Amino acid sequence: MHPSLKWKATAFATIAATAAFAVAGLLFASGAHSEELKHYDSSKKDFWTHPPGDWFMGDETQEQKGTHVVNTLPPPTGFTDDEIKATLSQIKLPAGFKIELWASGLPQARQMAWGKDGTLFVGSFLATNVYAVTEQGGKRTVKVVLKGMKMPTGLAYRDGALYVADIDKIYKYENPEANLDNMPAPQVVYDDLPPYPPHGWKYLAFDTNGWLFVPIGPPCNECLPPTSTAQIRHVNPANGLAETVALGVRNSVGGDFDPRTGDLWFSENARDWLGDDVPSDKLNHVTKLGEHFGFPYCHQGDIPDPKFAMGHKCSEFSPPALKLGAHVAPLGMKFYTGNQFPASYKNSIILAEHGSWNRHQFQGGRLMQISFDPDGKNIKQAEFASGWIGADGKYRGRPNDVLEAKDGSLLVADDFTGAIYRISYNK
Amino acid sequence: MKATAPILGFCLLALLGGAWSASAADVAAGKELATVCSGCHGENGVSQTPLTPSLAGEPDDYIQWQLVYFRNSARKSDVMGPVAKSLENPVIRNLGAYYASLSPPAPQPAPSSDALAQAGAKLAVQQRCRSCHGDNYEGVGPAARLTGQREDVLLKALRDFKSGARVGSGVASMADVTFGLNDNDMQALAHYMATRQ
Repeated sequence: MHPSLKWKATAFATIAATAAFAVAGLLFASGAHSEELKHYDSSKKDFWTHPPGDWFMGDETQEQKGTHVVNTLPPPTGFTDDEIKATLSQIKLPAGFKIELWASGLPQARQMAWGKDGTLFVGSFLATNVYAVTEQGGKRTVKVVLKGMKMPTGLAYRDGALYVADIDKIYKYENPEANLDNMPAPQVVYDDLPPYPPHGWKYLAFDTNGWLFVPIGPPCNECLPPTSTAQIRHVNPANGLAETVALGVRNSVGGDFDPRTGDLWFSENARDWLGDDVPSDKLNHVTKLGEHFGFPYCHQGDIPDPKFAMGHKCSEFSPPALKLGAHVAPLGMKFYTGNQFPASYKNSIILAEHGSWNRHQFQGGRLMQISFDPDGKNIKQAEFASGWIGADGKYRGRPNDVLEAKDGSLLVADDFTGAIYRISYNK
Repeated sequence: MKATAPILGFCLLALLGGAWSASAADVAAGKELATVCSGCHGENGVSQTPLTPSLAGEPDDYIQWQLVYFRNSARKSDVMGPVAKSLENPVIRNLGAYYASLSPPAPQPAPSSDALAQAGAKLAVQQRCRSCHGDNYEGVGPAARLTGQREDVLLKALRDFKSGARVGSGVASMADVTFGLNDNDMQALAHYMATRQ
């Protein structure tokens, strides 16, 4: 039995309700090592089903040696509220905007979803938990309402039920806000999903018809992936039916529907190990069912993969609507529909860039505003909130999702500090 | 050993009085806290106690991670569990900074022609220990210092990673590393690291 089978069980060490983190299943490296380059054969089924803890390192190059996910991990004792607030005081925002600490003590905080009674549900990346933040008399309390899941990053709420996507299952919890201390047993509403944890962590978004955006990543950094992966599906949790809506998608952890058109727009992380400045991460626009966005054959719309182009030309695939930059790690995103922010923000996308690991100097670690006409033309991007990469090049935080609040302010989830921020506008 | 654990926990609590600032770690404060630890871990962090690790010259993050793991029971120890339960984050940071500031232990003496160490040296290259533990196995970030650590501690660690008894940073990777090793291999590695100049 390959020891990596223990990865699932041991990699997700339970995190106590403190600011402490347990690093799960990750091999780590220093900048100064003299071994030969790491290499894994990502064409083997065994690699997909029993990946080594550092599966993302398998295409290591001399040029990018020294970069490693471990360089992006938060410190063992986390951050105090004062330390988080000190970082927030340095975040750059346009005039009239401010950012504040809204809640802390949510290790590995990821996608957020509002319950109908004002509870904020928050998923997590490595912490195995789902949190609920409730407010009473101006005081916020953080609870762990679900424990011991695999990687419950993706959450959505609709019609009185919370949906949690946990690698290969989508669970439905009825009426969770009435039962936070004793969550109901879930119903599995969809499980026709591949089991692979690498790139298997999900993001959920409901369209107006009640179908869910569900991205499924390939179990590798770059490979010819299993055909059930590297795609986006729409899933109807009411009856478990699904459609494949986009192909050739590597690691998407963010998507939303344009309120003006109903079209799906989604963020996508490009492959590693080609260099600090290539290939670009992407914002994509789905204009027809089954559209193919290039992976593994072509990156950023115009770079054939050195090994996996396999005779295909980039012109066969749909280019991105917008190149976001290399190694910015675009994740959660939402179309802003509120009235608190200035009118120019309405129907813009606010996108969270988690920041690099496979780059000598990190970039990203910020929120972007992306605006375009309903048909996708005249697309522009601008920095909205930045400064989570410090002057020393180290992370102070890593935003990964945004969510509008009822009053039109914007919540931001940060899995580096385990905190939620609130951005508001006041002219 | 078990009987001393509650006493150590009590002593650490006694040292915890007073406010702390949410700023960089305090080596001097760490040194004061560590007077209690020296009962088992030795003066200046060099352990003379069987199966109790030296802490001197360990990377700051390694010390912090192990204390965090003992505290949240990701790593199990009848002795360190109760000790760590009482440790607040600033204390953990201060202890990490203190031990990292200490001179590492001298290598254990070994014969000039040491077949076991030579075997260990070969295995260390084969298992890519440098890729996490540093070019001189001095430890980096969350990866422990290996050179100068007690041989019995190193051997126990390898055996625990292989059996799955030990859980923590890089758990899947240490399981991978030890998967193909038999006990003779692990003895050779432990001996090499403990005696390596």
